[in-house]
Amino acid sequence: MSVWEKLTAVPREVVMTLVVLAMIIPAIRPLGLPILTGDMSRAWYNTVEQLPEGSVVLFDIGYGSGGYPSLGPGNIAAFHQMFEKNLKLVIMATALEGTMMYPLIMEEVKPEENYGAVYGEDYVFLGYIAGEQTAMAGVLGDLKSLVSTDYQGTPISQLPLLENINGADDFALVAYLTTAGGVAEGWVYQAYSQYNKPLLGGCLSMMTTSIKPYYDSGQLLGLMDGIKGAADLEFLTGHPGDAIVSSDILSFTQTLVLVFIAIGNISFWMTRKTKEEES
Amino acid sequence: MVSTDAQIWIAAFFTIAATSYAFRDNVVFKFAENTFIGVAAGHAIVMGIKNIRDYGWNHLAQGEMIYIVVFILGILLYARFHDKYYWLYRYPIAFLVGNGVGISIRAAIHSDFVKQIAQTTSPLIAADAFGTINNIITFVGVITALSHFIFTREDIHTGTLGWIPRVGRWMMLLAFGASFGNTIMSRFGMYQGRIIFLLRDWLQIV
Amino acid sequence: MDYKRDLPLAITFIVGIIAVLDYYTGVQAITDTFTIIKNWGVVLQGFALGLGAVNLFRVHGRRISQRREGSDWLFSGWLLLMLTVFVVVGLSTGQYDQGPTYSWLYNAIYLPLGSTMYSSLAFYMAYGAYKVLRARNFEAGLLFITAILVILGNTPVFPAIYPGFFHMREWIFGPIVSGAYRGVRIGIGIGAVILGIRTLLGMETGYLGRR
Repeated sequence: MSVWEKLTAVPREVVMTLVVLAMIIPAIRPLGLPILTGDMSRAWYNTVEQLPEGSVVLFDIGYGSGGYPSLGPGNIAAFHQMFEKNLKLVIMATALEGTMMYPLIMEEVKPEENYGAVYGEDYVFLGYIAGEQTAMAGVLGDLKSLVSTDYQGTPISQLPLLENINGADDFALVAYLTTAGGVAEGWVYQAYSQYNKPLLGGCLSMMTTSIKPYYDSGQLLGLMDGIKGAADLEFLTGHPGDAIVSSDILSFTQTLVLVFIAIGNISFWMTRKTKEEES
Repeated sequence: MVSTDAQIWIAAFFTIAATSYAFRDNVVFKFAENTFIGVAAGHAIVMGIKNIRDYGWNHLAQGEMIYIVVFILGILLYARFHDKYYWLYRYPIAFLVGNGVGISIRAAIHSDFVKQIAQTTSPLIAADAFGTINNIITFVGVITALSHFIFTREDIHTGTLGWIPRVGRWMMLLAFGASFGNTIMSRFGMYQGRIIFLLRDWLQIV
Repeated sequence: MDYKRDLPLAITFIVGIIAVLDYYTGVQAITDTFTIIKNWGVVLQGFALGLGAVNLFRVHGRRISQRREGSDWLFSGWLLLMLTVFVVVGLSTGQYDQGPTYSWLYNAIYLPLGSTMYSSLAFYMAYGAYKVLRARNFEAGLLFITAILVILGNTPVFPAIYPGFFHMREWIFGPIVSGAYRGVRIGIGIGAVILGIRTLLGMETGYLGRR
């Protein structure tokens, strides 16, 4: 076996071990690389900045534990910006685990401590509502005919924020972060097409290409592109968190991937050339 | 200083156990896998029952007796496990399918069709030459990619105009390459959350 | 009328058409009817969440009772035990997922497993990129070029050295991705609408089951 052939067959365990090391080293010794923000995240940030104080935002936590490392940091940064702007938040979850993500996010944002926000007056969490698009259409159509309590069972009549909120007309903006393609499309269908509501979307980076046509056509006013979008938003809002820490890890792991792609291709072409010469 | 919190230790164990499959299939992974399926199904039941209580039972308790119908339909969903009366589950499924299809197609026409075509037919000439070139590339991309999906006329792929779907294929391959690049970032973005957990919360070395 | 087949198809048609009419007509009576349908839909989806668990009990219960396939039945028992523990803890407190014990269990078990299971594909992406992403011919080369350029733009160290990598990535996400994916999106939209209409008209009956 030639050197080139050996290079095309590096054992899986070796590749995996190097990937693990490429994640651990930068986590221990961060590089602190600069962040270049993308257009889609800037559009998200600017859309929120332009909202008048006191505007009510409907926010969907459409991800669970699988999506938290990518979307959680972006969610935290988004909430920081919204509470700083004194916006009112009506939060719901279209993901089964969304209700478990909510406390993780709020532990970081600390709305009462950091912004003097009051639960029930400045923000409310409705909890998980099953049915994806049915849930979206229900909340936007006639909120009070569907929801009678918040996620902890408090009647909505005891939550001042919801007193004058009946449906889509009462929301200035709808925003969502999701790992589900159906939810990403669903909000465009239900919030934009049905009610023409300003809409912000966020999804895993691997979904971005398929969701981007909605951003191009103005149906989404901003798009958070997974962990990259989250790092952008942390930078723009001035609340650095796990996404910016992750940037260093990404630098190492993806450089390693590029090295392996280069090895794979060079060895592939050299092996092919050698075989052609031999025959 | 390693964490002394039992919760963190259990979470660290399951993180490592679930990762171990990347190296080789093993019994620890199998244990983690079965645990995951069990807890995921358990969580789904808890959330399902909470959902029924919040959005169904609460209405019934307030005197909206019509909600009895939806409770009956809900129970009928489980008829699918009965050999003789399995067909009864078709009623609630028919309701769910009708609702799901109706609610999505009515807006899909606008979002996926009308708005996308409207965007494509906007003027190609932009404020600067670079913008104009970009608009032309986008326009060519849309038309040629769409032509690639025309299956009712075979000659469009083989005849004189065969280059149009071929260009569309190239445009899509370029776009799929971008998609692949982003998928790599996405997966690493997800896993590094676990690495940060292991190093910060469990081993406490960062 | 066959009440086992035609009646469900009629239900699908009526419910679906009310949703469509609500969108296009805005007549109050239709909107009110559709509001009820939506609210019922949410409750029914809650009922549907238990279907998977019932199936798990059937499959793994059988495996335990037969005790075949080596030690697999032990794992099946463990699976059902974990399922039961979550349900009992969630329901017995009356706090569902908001109880402290439930949160503790979730954060100790479900959260790490959920996030690791989905993300460990990263390792396969790395290995797959090494083994498969090869510029073997012109078409593979096209995919290869944008993949490399996007990875370069996504990797913060490269734009830090030369910002052009990032701008190139942004440009690829402009006309290239927008053009091709808009075409794909229109195709998906047409397909979804046609499939939806066929379903409402009773021409697609797969959801009724094969029996």
